[in-house]
Amino acid sequence: MANPLLQDKLLVSNLEIVPGRRVRTHLGMVQGSTVRSKHVGRDLLAGLKNIVGGELKGYTELMQEARDEATARMMAQAQSIGANAVLNVRYSATSITMGAAEILAYGTAVVLE
Amino acid sequence: MEIIAGFFNWIVFLVLLALGYFVGRWKEHAHYASIRKREAQYANVLAFAVRYPPDVVTPQDCRLVSGSVVISSDYFKQFVAGLRTLIGGQLSSYESLLDRARREATLRMKAEAQRFGSTLVINVKIESTTVSGGMRKGLPAMEVMTYGTALKPAAARAEPTG
Amino acid sequence: MRYENRQPDETVNYSTEHPLREFAWLVFGLLGVIAVGAALIGFFAGEIAARLPYSVEKDYAQGIAKHWQDKPRDASAEAARTALRAIAAKLAPAMNLPPGMEIQVHYSPEKVTNAFATLGANVVFYRGLIEKFDSEDAVAMVMAHEIAHAKLRHPAASLGRGIAVGLTLSLISLGVGDGVAGSAVQTAGVLPLLKYSRNQESAADAEALAALAAVYGHVGGARDTFNAFAKLASPGAAPVTILRTHPLTAERIAAAERLAAERGWKLDGERRALPPALARLQQEKRDKHEQNERASGKR
Repeated sequence: MANPLLQDKLLVSNLEIVPGRRVRTHLGMVQGSTVRSKHVGRDLLAGLKNIVGGELKGYTELMQEARDEATARMMAQAQSIGANAVLNVRYSATSITMGAAEILAYGTAVVLE
Repeated sequence: MEIIAGFFNWIVFLVLLALGYFVGRWKEHAHYASIRKREAQYANVLAFAVRYPPDVVTPQDCRLVSGSVVISSDYFKQFVAGLRTLIGGQLSSYESLLDRARREATLRMKAEAQRFGSTLVINVKIESTTVSGGMRKGLPAMEVMTYGTALKPAAARAEPTG
Repeated sequence: MRYENRQPDETVNYSTEHPLREFAWLVFGLLGVIAVGAALIGFFAGEIAARLPYSVEKDYAQGIAKHWQDKPRDASAEAARTALRAIAAKLAPAMNLPPGMEIQVHYSPEKVTNAFATLGANVVFYRGLIEKFDSEDAVAMVMAHEIAHAKLRHPAASLGRGIAVGLTLSLISLGVGDGVAGSAVQTAGVLPLLKYSRNQESAADAEALAALAAVYGHVGGARDTFNAFAKLASPGAAPVTILRTHPLTAERIAAAERLAAERGWKLDGERRALPPALARLQQEKRDKHEQNERASGKR
């Protein structure tokens, strides 16, 4: 879950339009990305979990933290160019090495009226 | 001579590490300079992630444009990232690599759009993959592809500037 | 609706920290912690293994003794083994072995330049090593050194240490993979083991010198042995102490001289000749060497 306080300052949505509000200016694409890895303890537990099955809580947290960070960075970029909303947000994930992943969040920064 | 034989592995390791660090940093610096220059050059080509074009009434020429690049990490980055996976956290050595790859791919897409004669690319999407000999071997290379639809007003049919 | 192209802040997506800083604290901090952890694990595992009752180790090692006993031997190998056992019988009473420990000496006719002690007080000498010595004193130094390893329970301690540290390192390296970072982790974990190995060698040297002084009246045999080792230096061995399993030969010589000065041992004296069975091995080698020279000369 993205930090609710940040979302109060800047509207983030994966819709094209915001019902009831008009877009005054499109300011360009903004992106936020981060590469994160989990420490060796979690890797070990995940390895054991591979035997019995179930949710890999450590990795769930890893992806969650990475997505939060990527979204925060994207919003930081949007704020740096004076936007007050980011529309059409998309996420993309790539695994890098064993136990490390890159999350990219990108969208269009706009100024809403 | 025996000293060299005993130390051979260490010498090779340190030389590769130094090469990766110095040459890698220099290449990254040069690449970023080139990226910033071209971003200023292509500032007139707009790229957005929105799906609906601003004007849906006037006939437009559409074309799918894309740009892709594969960038490899260097020995130094791989070493630092490998140690980092033990304690977790951000792999900052790879973050600049991916940032460069994305911006390069976007610039190549804009270049193709400009060749087509367009100044607006919409519905831009970014895809990335690792290109390697197997996930256990780390990150030899990262491929990023950026693609979108370039729009050009059908009436003003400018000659594509090869 | 206007469309603009504003350049966002690019430093958001990558770190401006100097990469060498992260490199420095990862190498010295993280690898340092791994080395210290391996040292601690190795220490405790070694102590526990060495304090197990000797009867347990002996039972476990019965297979080893049998393996060496059952190897086929020709007459010269049998004679060499008897001669070596005689030397061991001279040294063992002077060395205060723990109750129940009987040294079992084995001989192998292979050309390897080595001798070792393993679990269950089994000591093995290879022909390649014996051929390099000219006196009984030199052979006795190596024999006493290996008996000292057995007496101090070094084989058991090394095994325990190796297993414990090896297991821990493999668990840690799961995530790192087999790239260069994985080798760095392995090296960091192995460094403390090398240090323990060097300590063991120094302790065995000290015990061996004491035995030599008691039985032969002087420690000249040690000098012969160390000089022979110095000539044999293998090209693969690391030239720096920190990477070696044994201390540098020069250091072993210096330590021996210091100890002799402390305890008042004679540094030199008359050497005993090699027992006939062992001298024959040297003679055979020289004969074969001459034969080869003559053969190539004739060509």
